[in-house]
Amino acid sequence: MFQREEKQLEASVESLISRVAHVKNALHSFIYKLENEYERLTWPSVLDNFALLSGQLNTINKLLRNEKTPSFRNQVIIPLLLSPDRDEDLAKLTEQRVPVFSHEIVPDYLRTKPDPEVEEQEKQLSAEAARIGPDVAQKQIQTLNKLCSNLLEKLSNPREDRDAENAAMRQSKPSFNPTDTNALVSAVAFGKGLSKCRPPGPVAAGHQGQGSMMSGGPTLQQVTIGGGSGQQAGMGGPVAQQQQGQTGKMPSSIKTNIKSASGSMHPYTR
Amino acid sequence: MEAPPVTVMPVTGGTINMMEYLLQGSVLDQALDSLLHRLRGLCDNMEPETFTDHELVYLLKGQQGNPFILRARRSLSHPTAPWHLRYLGQPEVGDKSRHTLVRNCVDVAASHSLPEFLNEMGFRMDHEFVSNGHIFRKGAMKIVVSKLSRILVPGNTENTEHLSLSYLVELSVLAPAGQDTVSEDMRSFAEQLKPLVHLEKIDPSKQRH
Repeated sequence: MFQREEKQLEASVESLISRVAHVKNALHSFIYKLENEYERLTWPSVLDNFALLSGQLNTINKLLRNEKTPSFRNQVIIPLLLSPDRDEDLAKLTEQRVPVFSHEIVPDYLRTKPDPEVEEQEKQLSAEAARIGPDVAQKQIQTLNKLCSNLLEKLSNPREDRDAENAAMRQSKPSFNPTDTNALVSAVAFGKGLSKCRPPGPVAAGHQGQGSMMSGGPTLQQVTIGGGSGQQAGMGGPVAQQQQGQTGKMPSSIKTNIKSASGSMHPYTR
Repeated sequence: MEAPPVTVMPVTGGTINMMEYLLQGSVLDQALDSLLHRLRGLCDNMEPETFTDHELVYLLKGQQGNPFILRARRSLSHPTAPWHLRYLGQPEVGDKSRHTLVRNCVDVAASHSLPEFLNEMGFRMDHEFVSNGHIFRKGAMKIVVSKLSRILVPGNTENTEHLSLSYLVELSVLAPAGQDTVSEDMRSFAEQLKPLVHLEKIDPSKQRH
Protein backbone atom coordinates (compact mmCIF):
# COMPACT_ATOMS: atom_id res chain seq x y z
CA MET A 1 0.00 0.00 0.00
CA PHE A 2 2.81 2.35 0.78
CA GLN A 3 4.28 1.60 -2.61
CA ARG A 4 1.10 2.76 -4.26
CA GLU A 5 1.12 5.95 -2.24
CA GLU A 6 4.76 6.43 -3.02
CA LYS A 7 4.09 5.98 -6.70
CA GLN A 8 1.19 8.43 -6.54
CA LEU A 9 3.37 10.91 -4.71
CA GLU A 10 6.08 10.60 -7.28
CA ALA A 11 3.71 10.95 -10.20
CA SER A 12 1.98 13.99 -8.77
CA VAL A 13 5.26 15.64 -7.92
CA GLU A 14 6.44 15.03 -11.49
CA SER A 15 3.37 16.61 -13.03
CA LEU A 16 3.55 19.46 -10.54
CA ILE A 17 7.15 20.10 -11.53
CA SER A 18 6.22 20.19 -15.24
CA ARG A 19 3.31 22.58 -14.65
CA VAL A 20 5.47 24.86 -12.58
CA ALA A 21 8.08 24.77 -15.33
CA HIS A 22 5.43 25.98 -17.78
CA VAL A 23 4.53 28.87 -15.48
CA LYS A 24 8.18 29.71 -15.14
CA ASN A 25 8.66 29.82 -18.89
CA ALA A 26 5.62 31.97 -19.38
CA LEU A 27 6.77 34.39 -16.71
CA HIS A 28 10.23 34.46 -18.19
CA SER A 29 9.04 35.38 -21.67
CA PHE A 30 6.59 37.93 -20.28
CA ILE A 31 9.26 39.68 -18.23
CA TYR A 32 11.56 39.68 -21.21
CA LYS A 33 8.85 41.26 -23.33
CA LEU A 34 8.10 43.89 -20.72
CA GLU A 35 11.73 44.79 -20.28
CA ASN A 36 12.89 44.80 -23.87
CA GLU A 37 9.92 45.36 -26.13
CA TYR A 38 7.84 47.72 -24.06
CA GLU A 39 7.67 50.29 -26.85
CA ARG A 40 5.94 47.91 -29.21
CA LEU A 41 3.83 46.19 -26.59
CA THR A 42 0.08 46.56 -26.94
CA TRP A 43 -2.44 46.16 -24.17
CA PRO A 44 -4.16 43.14 -25.80
CA SER A 45 -0.88 41.19 -25.87
CA VAL A 46 -0.26 42.02 -22.22
CA LEU A 47 -3.73 40.74 -21.48
CA ASP A 48 -2.91 37.58 -23.43
CA ASN A 49 0.15 36.96 -21.28
CA PHE A 50 -1.81 37.44 -18.10
CA ALA A 51 -4.48 35.10 -19.39
CA LEU A 52 -1.87 32.48 -20.12
CA LEU A 53 -0.45 32.73 -16.60
CA SER A 54 -3.87 32.57 -15.05
CA GLY A 55 -4.70 29.48 -17.08
CA GLN A 56 -1.55 27.76 -15.99
CA LEU A 57 -2.18 28.59 -12.33
CA ASN A 58 -5.64 27.16 -12.77
CA THR A 59 -4.28 23.86 -14.02
CA ILE A 60 -1.91 23.71 -11.05
CA ASN A 61 -4.83 24.28 -8.74
CA LYS A 62 -6.81 21.53 -10.43
CA LEU A 63 -3.88 19.20 -10.16
CA LEU A 64 -3.55 19.84 -6.46
CA ARG A 65 -7.24 19.30 -5.91
CA ASN A 66 -7.19 16.05 -7.85
CA GLU A 67 -8.27 13.03 -5.86
CA LYS A 68 -5.29 11.04 -6.98
CA THR A 69 -2.95 13.63 -5.52
CA PRO A 70 -1.85 12.72 -2.03
CA SER A 71 -1.96 15.45 0.51
CA PHE A 72 1.37 17.21 0.43
CA ARG A 73 0.82 18.56 3.90
CA ASN A 74 1.66 15.21 5.30
CA GLN A 75 5.10 15.28 3.76
CA VAL A 76 7.91 16.99 5.62
CA ILE A 77 11.12 18.23 4.06
CA ILE A 78 14.08 18.49 6.37
CA PRO A 79 17.40 19.76 5.10
CA LEU A 80 20.04 17.24 6.08
CA LEU A 81 23.16 19.08 5.07
CA LEU A 82 23.74 22.80 4.74
CA SER A 83 27.01 24.05 3.39
CA PRO A 84 28.21 27.45 2.31
CA ASP A 85 30.10 25.88 -0.59
CA ARG A 86 28.95 26.19 -4.12
CA ASP A 87 27.19 23.09 -5.34
CA GLU A 88 27.56 22.61 -9.08
CA ASP A 89 24.77 20.08 -9.50
CA LEU A 90 22.31 22.29 -7.66
CA ALA A 91 23.42 25.26 -9.70
CA LYS A 92 22.82 23.34 -12.91
CA LEU A 93 19.44 22.06 -11.74
CA THR A 94 18.23 25.52 -10.84
CA GLU A 95 19.77 27.30 -13.85
CA GLN A 96 22.25 29.20 -11.70
CA ARG A 97 19.55 30.67 -9.48
CA VAL A 98 20.50 28.67 -6.36
CA PRO A 99 24.24 28.05 -6.44
CA VAL A 100 24.62 27.42 -2.71
CA PHE A 101 22.43 25.39 -0.38
CA SER A 102 23.16 27.43 2.70
CA HIS A 103 21.50 28.88 5.80
CA GLU A 104 20.32 31.95 3.97
CA ILE A 105 18.22 30.30 1.34
CA VAL A 106 16.65 27.57 3.45
CA PRO A 107 14.12 29.77 5.30
CA ASP A 108 12.87 31.17 2.00
CA TYR A 109 12.77 28.07 -0.17
CA LEU A 110 11.58 25.53 2.38
CA ARG A 111 9.01 27.80 4.01
CA THR A 112 5.65 26.20 4.76
CA LYS A 113 3.99 28.84 6.86
CA PRO A 114 2.98 32.22 5.43
CA ASP A 115 4.72 35.43 6.48
CA PRO A 116 4.01 36.64 10.01
CA GLU A 117 2.12 39.68 8.71
CA VAL A 118 0.06 37.52 6.43
CA GLU A 119 -0.62 35.15 9.28
CA GLU A 120 -1.83 38.06 11.42
CA GLN A 121 -4.20 39.22 8.72
CA GLU A 122 -5.55 35.75 8.18
CA LYS A 123 -6.19 35.41 11.90
CA GLN A 124 -8.05 38.71 11.96
CA LEU A 125 -10.19 37.76 8.99
CA SER A 126 -11.16 34.38 10.42
CA ALA A 127 -11.96 36.00 13.80
CA GLU A 128 -14.27 38.50 12.11
CA ALA A 129 -15.91 35.78 10.05
CA ALA A 130 -16.63 33.81 13.22
CA ARG A 131 -17.96 36.96 14.91
CA ILE A 132 -20.72 37.92 12.49
CA GLY A 133 -22.52 34.66 12.83
CA PRO A 134 -23.67 32.15 10.24
CA ASP A 135 -26.97 33.86 9.21
CA VAL A 136 -25.42 37.20 8.37
CA ALA A 137 -22.61 35.43 6.59
CA GLN A 138 -25.09 33.46 4.51
CA LYS A 139 -26.97 36.62 3.56
CA GLN A 140 -23.74 38.30 2.52
CA ILE A 141 -22.84 35.33 0.40
CA GLN A 142 -26.22 35.41 -1.30
CA THR A 143 -26.00 39.14 -2.10
CA LEU A 144 -22.57 38.69 -3.58
CA ASN A 145 -23.77 35.79 -5.72
CA LYS A 146 -26.73 37.78 -6.94
CA LEU A 147 -24.60 40.78 -7.90
CA CYS A 148 -22.16 38.60 -9.77
CA SER A 149 -24.86 36.78 -11.69
CA ASN A 150 -26.56 40.09 -12.63
CA LEU A 151 -23.33 41.43 -13.97
CA LEU A 152 -22.61 38.25 -15.91
CA GLU A 153 -26.08 38.35 -17.42
CA LYS A 154 -25.69 41.95 -18.51
CA LEU A 155 -22.36 41.20 -20.11
CA SER A 156 -23.46 38.10 -21.92
CA ASN A 157 -26.75 39.49 -23.23
CA PRO A 158 -27.00 39.89 -27.00
CA ARG A 159 -25.94 43.23 -28.45
CA GLU A 160 -29.45 44.09 -29.63
CA ASP A 161 -30.57 44.78 -26.09
CA ARG A 162 -27.78 47.24 -25.54
CA ASP A 163 -28.34 48.88 -28.91
CA ALA A 164 -32.03 49.33 -28.15
CA GLU A 165 -31.14 51.21 -24.99
CA ASN A 166 -28.68 53.40 -26.86
CA ALA A 167 -31.18 54.11 -29.62
CA ALA A 168 -33.80 55.14 -27.08
CA MET A 169 -31.28 57.52 -25.51
CA ARG A 170 -30.34 59.05 -28.83
CA GLN A 171 -33.90 59.55 -30.01
CA SER A 172 -34.48 62.10 -27.30
CA LYS A 173 -31.85 64.36 -28.87
CA PRO A 174 -32.36 64.51 -32.62
CA SER A 175 -29.42 65.92 -34.45
CA PHE A 176 -31.17 67.09 -37.58
CA ASN A 177 -34.44 68.63 -38.55
CA PRO A 178 -36.04 67.44 -41.82
CA THR A 179 -37.87 70.73 -42.29
CA ASP A 180 -34.57 72.52 -42.15
CA THR A 181 -33.15 70.09 -44.67
CA ASN A 182 -35.92 70.88 -47.11
CA ALA A 183 -35.62 74.59 -46.52
CA LEU A 184 -31.87 74.56 -47.11
CA VAL A 185 -32.10 72.38 -50.19
CA SER A 186 -34.76 74.61 -51.71
CA ALA A 187 -32.66 77.66 -50.93
CA VAL A 188 -29.68 76.23 -52.76
CA ALA A 189 -31.64 74.76 -55.63
CA PHE A 190 -33.83 77.67 -56.60
CA GLY A 191 -33.45 80.42 -54.07
CA LYS A 192 -36.45 79.82 -51.87
CA GLY A 193 -36.22 82.42 -49.18
CA LEU A 194 -33.27 84.14 -50.76
CA SER A 195 -34.59 86.33 -53.55
CA LYS A 196 -33.15 89.76 -53.23
CA CYS A 197 -35.34 92.80 -52.58
CA ARG A 198 -37.94 90.55 -51.01
CA PRO A 199 -38.65 90.52 -47.29
CA PRO A 200 -36.96 87.57 -45.57
CA GLY A 201 -39.10 84.47 -45.13
CA PRO A 202 -39.46 81.33 -47.19
CA VAL A 203 -43.18 81.79 -47.82
CA ALA A 204 -43.01 85.34 -49.06
CA ALA A 205 -40.47 84.67 -51.77
CA GLY A 206 -41.29 82.34 -54.56
CA HIS A 207 -39.45 81.65 -57.75
CA GLN A 208 -39.27 84.89 -59.59
CA GLY A 209 -40.16 83.44 -62.96
CA GLN A 210 -43.67 82.41 -62.07
CA GLY A 211 -46.33 85.04 -61.78
CA SER A 212 -43.86 87.84 -61.99
CA MET A 213 -45.80 89.51 -64.69
CA MET A 214 -48.31 90.91 -62.30
CA SER A 215 -45.93 92.08 -59.62
CA GLY A 216 -43.54 94.91 -60.13
CA GLY A 217 -44.06 98.51 -61.07
CA PRO A 218 -46.99 99.16 -63.34
CA THR A 219 -45.08 101.98 -64.94
CA LEU A 220 -42.55 99.59 -66.42
CA GLN A 221 -45.25 97.48 -67.93
CA GLN A 222 -46.90 100.45 -69.53
CA VAL A 223 -43.67 101.56 -71.09
CA THR A 224 -42.88 98.19 -72.56
CA ILE A 225 -46.38 97.39 -73.70
CA GLY A 226 -46.32 100.59 -75.67
CA GLY A 227 -43.07 99.57 -77.24
CA GLY A 228 -44.06 96.02 -78.00
CA SER A 229 -47.55 96.95 -79.26
CA GLY A 230 -49.13 94.07 -77.46
CA GLN A 231 -47.84 91.39 -79.76
CA GLN A 232 -47.14 87.89 -78.60
CA ALA A 233 -43.44 88.34 -79.09
CA GLY A 234 -43.49 91.40 -76.92
CA MET A 235 -44.58 89.45 -73.87
CA GLY A 236 -41.07 88.28 -73.30
CA GLY A 237 -39.97 91.86 -73.09
CA PRO A 238 -41.83 93.00 -69.96
CA VAL A 239 -40.61 90.04 -67.98
CA ALA A 240 -36.97 90.59 -68.84
CA GLN A 241 -37.27 94.27 -68.22
CA GLN A 242 -38.98 93.72 -64.93
CA GLN A 243 -35.97 91.89 -63.71
CA GLN A 244 -33.83 94.62 -65.07
CA GLY A 245 -35.96 97.14 -63.26
CA GLN A 246 -35.42 95.35 -60.01
CA THR A 247 -31.69 95.49 -60.45
CA GLY A 248 -32.03 99.20 -60.94
CA LYS A 249 -31.26 99.30 -64.62
CA MET A 250 -33.39 101.01 -67.22
CA PRO A 251 -34.64 98.73 -69.97
CA SER A 252 -32.55 99.12 -73.06
CA SER A 253 -34.51 100.22 -76.05
CA ILE A 254 -32.44 98.00 -78.34
CA LYS A 255 -33.94 94.87 -76.85
CA THR A 256 -37.50 96.01 -77.32
CA ASN A 257 -36.89 96.88 -80.93
CA ILE A 258 -35.48 93.49 -81.72
CA LYS A 259 -38.48 91.78 -80.24
CA SER A 260 -40.97 93.85 -82.16
CA ALA A 261 -39.07 93.32 -85.37
CA SER A 262 -39.24 89.52 -85.08
CA GLY A 263 -42.95 89.76 -84.40
CA SER A 264 -43.70 91.83 -87.47
CA MET A 265 -41.98 89.31 -89.74
CA HIS A 266 -45.11 87.19 -89.65
CA PRO A 267 -47.95 89.53 -90.40
CA TYR A 268 -50.50 86.76 -90.18
CA THR A 269 -49.87 85.80 -86.55
CA ARG A 270 -51.75 87.68 -83.92
CA MET B 1 0.53 56.64 -91.56
CA GLU B 2 0.23 56.69 -87.83
CA ALA B 3 -2.13 59.09 -86.14
CA PRO B 4 -0.69 62.47 -85.31
CA PRO B 5 -0.15 63.24 -81.62
CA VAL B 6 -3.23 64.34 -79.76
CA THR B 7 -2.07 67.91 -79.35
CA VAL B 8 -1.92 68.43 -83.08
CA MET B 9 -5.41 67.15 -83.81
CA PRO B 10 -8.13 69.75 -84.03
CA VAL B 11 -10.26 70.14 -80.96
CA THR B 12 -13.70 69.39 -82.27
CA GLY B 13 -15.62 68.08 -79.33
CA GLY B 14 -16.14 69.58 -75.94
CA THR B 15 -15.12 68.16 -72.63
CA ILE B 16 -16.16 64.81 -71.22
CA ASN B 17 -19.71 64.98 -70.04
CA MET B 18 -19.31 65.22 -66.29
CA MET B 19 -22.17 64.35 -64.01
CA GLU B 20 -22.56 65.44 -60.44
CA TYR B 21 -23.81 62.79 -58.05
CA LEU B 22 -25.37 64.44 -55.03
CA LEU B 23 -26.76 63.54 -51.62
CA GLN B 24 -27.98 66.20 -49.22
CA GLY B 25 -28.95 66.44 -45.60
CA SER B 26 -28.77 68.85 -42.73
CA VAL B 27 -27.56 68.91 -39.17
CA LEU B 28 -28.62 71.15 -36.32
CA ASP B 29 -26.13 73.62 -34.90
CA GLN B 30 -25.77 71.78 -31.64
CA ALA B 31 -24.83 68.55 -33.39
CA LEU B 32 -22.30 70.21 -35.67
CA ASP B 33 -19.27 69.40 -33.53
CA SER B 34 -19.95 65.70 -33.36
CA LEU B 35 -20.51 65.64 -37.11
CA LEU B 36 -17.22 67.43 -37.74
CA HIS B 37 -15.37 65.00 -35.48
CA ARG B 38 -16.90 62.04 -37.23
CA LEU B 39 -16.04 63.46 -40.63
CA ARG B 40 -12.49 64.13 -39.55
CA GLY B 41 -12.19 60.51 -38.60
CA LEU B 42 -13.86 59.12 -41.69
CA CYS B 43 -12.36 61.34 -44.35
CA ASP B 44 -8.90 61.75 -45.74
CA ASN B 45 -6.41 63.13 -43.32
CA MET B 46 -5.84 66.76 -44.14
CA GLU B 47 -5.98 70.04 -42.31
CA PRO B 48 -9.62 71.00 -41.74
CA GLU B 49 -10.49 73.43 -44.45
CA THR B 50 -13.00 76.21 -43.99
CA PHE B 51 -14.39 78.39 -46.70
CA THR B 52 -16.56 81.46 -47.11
CA ASP B 53 -18.16 81.78 -50.51
CA HIS B 54 -20.55 84.22 -52.11
CA GLU B 55 -22.75 82.60 -54.72
CA LEU B 56 -24.85 84.47 -57.25
CA VAL B 57 -27.41 82.66 -59.34
CA TYR B 58 -28.05 84.12 -62.78
CA LEU B 59 -31.09 83.43 -64.90
CA LEU B 60 -31.50 83.85 -68.62
CA LYS B 61 -35.11 83.96 -69.61
CA GLY B 62 -35.89 82.77 -73.04
CA GLN B 63 -39.19 82.58 -74.87
CA GLN B 64 -39.68 79.07 -73.59
CA GLY B 65 -40.72 78.26 -70.09
CA ASN B 66 -37.57 77.13 -68.33
CA PRO B 67 -34.94 79.77 -67.75
CA PHE B 68 -31.29 78.93 -68.15
CA ILE B 69 -29.51 79.00 -64.79
CA LEU B 70 -25.85 79.68 -64.20
CA ARG B 71 -24.21 79.83 -60.80
CA ALA B 72 -21.27 82.14 -60.18
CA ARG B 73 -19.30 81.66 -57.03
CA ARG B 74 -16.44 83.59 -55.55
CA SER B 75 -14.42 83.09 -52.39
CA LEU B 76 -14.68 85.77 -49.75
CA SER B 77 -11.76 84.28 -47.85
CA HIS B 78 -9.51 84.34 -50.93
CA PRO B 79 -10.52 87.51 -52.73
CA THR B 80 -7.95 87.17 -55.51
CA ALA B 81 -8.95 83.66 -56.49
CA PRO B 82 -10.84 83.37 -59.78
CA TRP B 83 -14.58 83.13 -59.93
CA HIS B 84 -16.16 79.76 -60.50
CA LEU B 85 -18.99 79.40 -62.99
CA ARG B 86 -21.12 76.29 -62.90
CA TYR B 87 -23.99 74.94 -64.92
CA LEU B 88 -26.18 72.26 -63.38
CA GLY B 89 -28.63 70.43 -65.57
CA GLN B 90 -31.94 68.90 -64.68
CA PRO B 91 -31.68 65.82 -62.46
CA GLU B 92 -31.57 62.67 -64.52
CA VAL B 93 -34.81 60.85 -64.29
CA GLY B 94 -33.40 57.39 -64.20
CA ASP B 95 -34.63 54.31 -62.43
CA LYS B 96 -35.73 54.87 -58.89
CA SER B 97 -33.10 52.49 -57.60
CA ARG B 98 -30.35 55.00 -58.09
CA HIS B 99 -29.44 56.25 -54.68
CA THR B 100 -28.14 59.67 -55.53
CA LEU B 101 -29.28 62.68 -57.51
CA VAL B 102 -27.46 62.72 -60.85
CA ARG B 103 -27.28 65.80 -63.00
CA ASN B 104 -25.10 67.16 -65.74
CA CYS B 105 -22.45 69.54 -64.49
CA VAL B 106 -20.13 71.93 -66.29
CA ASP B 107 -17.55 73.89 -64.31
CA VAL B 108 -15.31 76.68 -65.55
CA ALA B 109 -13.17 79.29 -63.92
CA ALA B 110 -13.71 82.90 -64.77
CA SER B 111 -12.13 86.25 -64.18
CA HIS B 112 -13.41 88.96 -61.86
CA SER B 113 -15.37 90.59 -64.64
CA LEU B 114 -17.82 87.71 -64.65
CA PRO B 115 -20.88 89.52 -63.19
CA GLU B 116 -20.64 92.34 -65.72
CA PHE B 117 -20.12 89.87 -68.53
CA LEU B 118 -23.18 87.87 -67.55
CA ASN B 119 -25.24 91.04 -67.30
CA GLU B 120 -24.17 92.08 -70.78
CA MET B 121 -25.08 88.65 -72.09
CA GLY B 122 -28.57 89.13 -70.81
CA PHE B 123 -28.44 87.15 -67.61
CA ARG B 124 -30.10 88.66 -64.61
CA MET B 125 -29.18 87.82 -61.05
CA ASP B 126 -31.98 85.96 -59.42
CA HIS B 127 -30.68 85.47 -55.91
CA GLU B 128 -27.45 85.38 -53.99
CA PHE B 129 -26.30 83.97 -50.70
CA VAL B 130 -23.22 83.55 -48.61
CA SER B 131 -22.14 80.10 -47.65
CA ASN B 132 -19.48 79.34 -45.08
CA GLY B 133 -18.43 76.10 -43.54
CA HIS B 134 -16.08 73.18 -43.80
CA ILE B 135 -15.05 70.97 -46.64
CA PHE B 136 -13.82 67.39 -46.37
CA ARG B 137 -12.66 64.97 -49.00
CA LYS B 138 -12.60 61.20 -49.17
CA GLY B 139 -11.13 59.94 -52.39
CA ALA B 140 -13.34 61.36 -55.10
CA MET B 141 -16.10 62.27 -52.67
CA LYS B 142 -16.47 65.81 -51.45
CA ILE B 143 -18.35 66.55 -48.26
CA VAL B 144 -19.37 70.12 -47.62
CA VAL B 145 -20.90 71.25 -44.33
CA SER B 146 -22.05 74.81 -44.80
CA LYS B 147 -24.18 77.49 -43.22
CA LEU B 148 -26.23 79.50 -45.67
CA SER B 149 -26.79 83.17 -45.00
CA ARG B 150 -29.18 85.54 -46.65
CA ILE B 151 -27.79 88.81 -47.97
CA LEU B 152 -29.97 91.60 -46.71
CA VAL B 153 -28.69 94.41 -48.87
CA PRO B 154 -27.90 93.27 -52.41
CA GLY B 155 -24.21 93.36 -53.06
CA ASN B 156 -23.25 93.76 -49.41
CA THR B 157 -21.77 90.52 -48.20
CA GLU B 158 -21.01 91.81 -44.72
CA ASN B 159 -24.61 92.25 -43.74
CA THR B 160 -25.93 88.71 -43.66
CA GLU B 161 -28.46 86.77 -41.71
CA HIS B 162 -28.48 83.02 -41.15
CA LEU B 163 -31.11 81.25 -43.17
CA SER B 164 -31.87 78.57 -40.60
CA LEU B 165 -30.52 76.98 -37.45
CA SER B 166 -29.04 74.10 -39.37
CA TYR B 167 -26.01 73.42 -41.45
CA LEU B 168 -26.46 71.98 -44.93
CA VAL B 169 -24.48 68.80 -45.52
CA GLU B 170 -23.76 67.81 -49.10
CA LEU B 171 -21.95 64.75 -50.37
CA SER B 172 -21.02 65.04 -54.02
CA VAL B 173 -18.88 63.33 -56.61
CA LEU B 174 -17.98 64.59 -60.07
CA ALA B 175 -17.64 61.67 -62.42
CA PRO B 176 -18.21 60.85 -66.06
CA ALA B 177 -21.65 59.63 -66.96
CA GLY B 178 -22.61 56.03 -66.52
CA GLN B 179 -20.65 55.05 -63.43
CA ASP B 180 -23.13 53.51 -61.10
CA THR B 181 -20.56 52.27 -58.61
CA VAL B 182 -20.16 55.88 -57.56
CA SER B 183 -23.63 56.05 -56.10
CA GLU B 184 -23.08 52.78 -54.26
CA ASP B 185 -19.93 54.13 -52.62
CA MET B 186 -21.71 57.33 -51.70
CA ARG B 187 -24.56 55.46 -50.15
CA SER B 188 -22.27 53.32 -47.99
CA PHE B 189 -20.46 56.44 -46.84
CA ALA B 190 -23.76 58.09 -46.03
CA GLU B 191 -24.67 55.06 -43.89
CA GLN B 192 -21.68 55.79 -41.71
CA LEU B 193 -22.98 59.23 -40.91
CA LYS B 194 -26.28 57.99 -39.58
CA PRO B 195 -27.95 58.74 -37.23
CA LEU B 196 -26.24 62.11 -36.90
CA VAL B 197 -27.35 63.19 -40.34
CA HIS B 198 -29.49 61.49 -42.96
CA LEU B 199 -28.05 62.10 -46.39
CA GLU B 200 -30.60 61.40 -49.04
CA LYS B 201 -31.58 62.14 -52.57
CA ILE B 202 -33.76 65.23 -52.43
CA ASP B 203 -35.38 66.14 -55.72
CA PRO B 204 -35.48 69.95 -55.86
CA SER B 205 -38.44 70.02 -58.20
CA LYS B 206 -40.50 68.26 -55.55
CA GLN B 207 -39.67 71.00 -53.09
CA ARG B 208 -41.17 73.74 -55.19
CA HIS B 209 -44.38 74.80 -53.46
